[in-house]
Amino acid sequence: MIEVKGLSKFYRQTKAVDGVDLSIRKGELFGLLGPNGSGKTTMIKMLTGQIKPTSGTLKVHGINVLEDPLRVRELIGVIPEQETPPSFLTAEEYLYFVAKVRKMEHYEEACEKWFEFFDFGDQKTSLCKDLSRGTRQKLMFAQAFLHEPELAIIDEPLINLDPVMQRKVKDFLRGYVKNGGTVFISTHILEIAKEICTSIGIIYRGKLVYTGRLDDPELQDKNLEEFFLELVGKRKGISKDILEESQKGISALA
Amino acid sequence: MFDIFKSMIKEEWRMHSSLFGHSGFALFPVFIFLFTFFVSLVLPVFREIVTDAQIALGMHYIFLLVGGMVGAFGLLGREFMNRRFGQASLIAYSSRVLPVSERFIFANFLGKDVVYYFILYILPFVAGFALAAKFVPAGNFGASATLLTLLLTLSISFMIGISAIFFLSTVYAHSGKILLLCLLAASLLLLHISGNFNQGTLYSLPSLSFFLVPSENQLLLSGVLILVPSALSLIFLKIDFPQAQKSFSNSFSKLCRYLGSYRYAAFVAKDSLDLKRSEGGLGKLIFSFVLPLLLVWTLLSALGKVIPALSTLTLFALVLGVLSSSMYNWLTEYDIFSSYAFLPLKASDMIKSKLNSYLILNLVPLVILTLLALKKDPMFLIPSLTLFLTISLYMVSVLVYLTGLSPSINLYNGKIFALYMLSVMPLLMLNIILSMFGPYYALMDLLLIPVALYILGKGFRKWDRNECRCF
Ligand SMILES: Nc1ncnc2c1ncn2[C@@H]1O[C@H](COP(=O)(O)OP(=O)(O)O)[C@@H](O)[C@H]1O
Ligand SMILES: [Mg+2]
Repeated sequence: MIEVKGLSKFYRQTKAVDGVDLSIRKGELFGLLGPNGSGKTTMIKMLTGQIKPTSGTLKVHGINVLEDPLRVRELIGVIPEQETPPSFLTAEEYLYFVAKVRKMEHYEEACEKWFEFFDFGDQKTSLCKDLSRGTRQKLMFAQAFLHEPELAIIDEPLINLDPVMQRKVKDFLRGYVKNGGTVFISTHILEIAKEICTSIGIIYRGKLVYTGRLDDPELQDKNLEEFFLELVGKRKGISKDILEESQKGISALA
Repeated sequence: MFDIFKSMIKEEWRMHSSLFGHSGFALFPVFIFLFTFFVSLVLPVFREIVTDAQIALGMHYIFLLVGGMVGAFGLLGREFMNRRFGQASLIAYSSRVLPVSERFIFANFLGKDVVYYFILYILPFVAGFALAAKFVPAGNFGASATLLTLLLTLSISFMIGISAIFFLSTVYAHSGKILLLCLLAASLLLLHISGNFNQGTLYSLPSLSFFLVPSENQLLLSGVLILVPSALSLIFLKIDFPQAQKSFSNSFSKLCRYLGSYRYAAFVAKDSLDLKRSEGGLGKLIFSFVLPLLLVWTLLSALGKVIPALSTLTLFALVLGVLSSSMYNWLTEYDIFSSYAFLPLKASDMIKSKLNSYLILNLVPLVILTLLALKKDPMFLIPSLTLFLTISLYMVSVLVYLTGLSPSINLYNGKIFALYMLSVMPLLMLNIILSMFGPYYALMDLLLIPVALYILGKGFRKWDRNECRCF
């Protein structure tokens, strides 16, 4: 589904993404993990043809993204990092708008299904600018899956949702992959990855420092959190005891 | 006390300069300075046809309009700012979280606009004049006392404009209907005046008549015109606009059905809902389009009486074309491309959809012009329609090429603004001169159509190539 080789994106001072090789097969629920500013969003913007890489090749759905980004975005569903639907459409009108842009024929029922799924109620008829961030995020989620794409690339889709909704969305994603869909999700929250992903990649300062399946024996005896902090910690050059201390802090919080 | 004022000025400056980079923005007053400098260098050439008083008249009315536009932008354009900078990020709209009264904040807001735009527009404008006076004996405008008076009276014009718009917007915040009635009455009055015009009326703008013949009375009258509307609006200040509707039925579907299988149906439907539901609603169309047009028509009719060689209708068509292109600015104000970049759309698709809405909006001026031409002189119908349509098309194509989907931001970049003026001003000048020889010279503007289409094509490619620089 996704084939990436030597992918880099450099901005003037920063190497946002630095030489990433990645291959994701159909039916995976791939989680791209990394702390804030590690390059997840940049990666997703390149995969969806919104920005051009400095170097490297990338294929999505077997299509060269650089040659035909439009075709790629037609086929896949995308949730962008920022939930900014047009201000003056209502939630319902926005979904209809996206359906029109995607040239769908019968969409009323599909839209209704999503509003029920997310308990929209009256908010269906509120203007997008008056919706809360969480509600807007739900709307962006519905928008991405409206045309039932085979591949969805979604950027931190859960951060503004309450626990109940997070649960629902996670269940949906699992079911979606079981039915043959493929999902590329970015997140900085390990819990999510642990719960739903079939494979993960860890990105840190633009470099993909680990990829593997979650049933990898290397991961089995470790908890993912430890592993993550270990990888990231090594790179940061944090001394071992500070690392341990912060780990304790994190466990105490949990 | 003074802190809020200072922070607002800083805020305005940062807002502008973060959008276009410091140098880009700092160039803006420099450009205005150079512009008036060169224009006033060639002024003596026109001494034969226009008098100093007429030049002064033009300047004072221009700054009246600028004041009105700045006011309208500050007060009605806030959703645009909110969209780009986050909810309630401007001090003016954060009165609910600051321990100061709304009135106090808004008084500061007005003061800030006056000081800020004085430095940005008025000062460089007069400075350009002053420098030119060193090189050419510019008659009345050369004396330093005159220049200082000009600085004062142009500022007064500007403030009368802001104050009037502020007042109108306060009326609007209380009731859209009352405002519409006021405007209707004002338009009828203006039309009546323009019918049997005498020059005296035009020269009775107090800032102008003070400039021409300084007198205490005029100064007093100016003060009243500035202070009374502002004070009234501060007293009756209301922050929330009447549109507090929370729930809307699905008009989008209806509009789409109505537009059928038209390729840009979804976008045109969305744009029309944006216009209708955003703050100010259709009132914006009146504020920033119909009202200025009426004023222009009145001024041109007066000018036509003074300088018979000028054809009122042809000039009006020209101005209409120029003003219409500003509608492209409104259409793009509600959107940022990043809201669409993840859908199967290119930047050029968005621009094309905006141009479709633009063409539809152009029907309003088209109808106005047709009616006026039929009433005044049907012989002028074809040439003035041609002039209007070609100028409107050309202006918007230049705007698209230079500024893409963010004209109201990019135009503040000094370099882009200079390019824009360079590609537009000579053409307008040429048309003004041609109009003196008869209406049918306007048909030459048909040549602009292929040029505009070429520029548009180049513009589409340019903005598709550029990565979305999302504001
Ligand atoms: N347009 C840009 N210009 C300059 N630097 C950028 C730009 N976009 C992202 N970056 C930088 O690239 C790095 C990765 O950012 P991003 O991909 O947004 O991270 P993440 O989504 O993982 O939080 C950050 O250091 C960020 O500052
Ligand atoms: Mg991100």
